[in-house]
Amino acid sequence: MTEKPHTVKSYEEQLQQLTNNLVIMGGNCETALGNSIKALCNNDNTIADTVINNDTVIDNFESQIEQEVVDLIALRQPMAIDLRETVTALKISSDLERIGDLAKNISKRTKLINNNLPYNLTQSIERVGAIVQKQLKLVLDSYTNRSPEIALDVWEKDEEVDNLTNLCMEEVIKYLKSGNENIEYGSHLLFVTKNIERIGDHVTNIAEQIYFLVKGSYLEGDRPKGSQPIVNGEK
Amino acid sequence: MNKIEAKKVNVFYGDKQALFDINMDIPERQVTALIGPSGCGKSTFLRCLNRMNDVIEICKVEGEIKINDYDINQKSTDVVRLREKIGMVFQKPNPFPKTLYENISYGPEIHGMAQSKDELDQIVEDSLKKAALWNEVKDRLHEPGTGLSGGQQQRLCIARAISVKPEVILMDEPCSALDPIATAQIEELIDELKKEHTIVIVTHSMSQAARVSQQTGFFHLGKLIEVGSTDKIFKNPNQQQTQDYITGRFG
Ligand SMILES: Nc1ncnc2c1ncn2[C@@H]1O[C@H](COP(=O)(O)OP(=O)(O)OP(=O)(O)O)[C@@H](O)[C@H]1O
Ligand SMILES: [Mg+2]
Repeated sequence: MTEKPHTVKSYEEQLQQLTNNLVIMGGNCETALGNSIKALCNNDNTIADTVINNDTVIDNFESQIEQEVVDLIALRQPMAIDLRETVTALKISSDLERIGDLAKNISKRTKLINNNLPYNLTQSIERVGAIVQKQLKLVLDSYTNRSPEIALDVWEKDEEVDNLTNLCMEEVIKYLKSGNENIEYGSHLLFVTKNIERIGDHVTNIAEQIYFLVKGSYLEGDRPKGSQPIVNGEK
Repeated sequence: MNKIEAKKVNVFYGDKQALFDINMDIPERQVTALIGPSGCGKSTFLRCLNRMNDVIEICKVEGEIKINDYDINQKSTDVVRLREKIGMVFQKPNPFPKTLYENISYGPEIHGMAQSKDELDQIVEDSLKKAALWNEVKDRLHEPGTGLSGGQQQRLCIARAISVKPEVILMDEPCSALDPIATAQIEELIDELKKEHTIVIVTHSMSQAARVSQQTGFFHLGKLIEVGSTDKIFKNPNQQQTQDYITGRFG
């Protein structure tokens, strides 16, 4: 942080604690997302179970952060940058919590898929998973470094994520169409793809919050929009 | 519209300069809050606005203070009339050692604002009502004003200030000795008063400045560091010094 420390040390510590918890929570989400993709593509139920079980850790962080935010507002009446720190922490933690849930959902579906998926499909999911993971990592970096530039980069890249998820969606639909026996797994994969895209949206929300946190103003303009999603498998 | 325009105001106590080149516009029928650390010159600036610094012998004021486009620092200014138009409420309630009634009636009487006893009664009642004190004191108007609680005394002083229908009301830390309920009553009153009056308030409470004012000026070491909408000052000030002060990172 570039700000001078507060005259009241305990206030400074409380704000620092809030930031630290958010960073750790973000780290847990990164792991959950990475593992959920890995478990899916390698059909590894052990890893999937780790993701599912660790979600309570993420949930607990959210409650903890919420409590800290309420305490700060009630007891410290934060102003200016401190107010933005406090309010954005609350919003970011709820986006992170959703990311955790979506990763958990991917893992639950993974456990319902019992044999190996076609290579081109796992490759496609891995590709979009990797870019969303990178986005999440960058947005957490931008939070740690209070960097609106990185946040803006992440925000602008959301378009690419959308485009890749649409491609991935097409792959899944091809797979669905290729045989009735694929319908069950295929439907799970549609949700998985959608989950990844939504994780990307939460990352974008976080980028907006970080921009506001540092700049005090909101990112202007519409969100970058990728290609239109396909409906009924037709372009 | 600006009610008050201060241009290049410099104030000296003897050879010690207390204010440096202050430029500040004060919009009509709004509340302007002045904040800043102790000794930064808030009270000094406030006193410039109704020439209360005149009463301090070693104090010298330079620059222009225009109220309704009229420079009040001109020699020809009638200072008594000026202070009738620009009322003041101080940090410590200072009721006259007289009855509640006389505390309020004194100003309107000397300014010849009432033609009859009835009219005067009416002014007293209206002023006390506006100051949210009427219900508490209507049965004891002829008891001494000093017998009220601190918060009531402060509202009495506000009633006294508004009894002469000033255009501007200057308040120097009016709530510093009050409990949260009396403070809330004064803040509610300020909200009411701004419909008809322009208000400038000095306060050490950041949250009070944020609650009651539309414009805030931050002073430091005799300089006006930043002035802007209260919203902006407390959410995202332009100056680092302002932010350090309002967030408690000073010195
Ligand atoms: N009557 C006086 N004689 C000499 N110096 C004075 C006088 N009144 C104020 N000063 C000086 O002028 C400077 C500004 O004082 P002022 O009272 O305007 O500050 P303030 O911002 O109102 O402080 P506070 O928040 O403590 O009331 C201070 O350095 C003070 O010592
Ligand atoms: Mg003062």
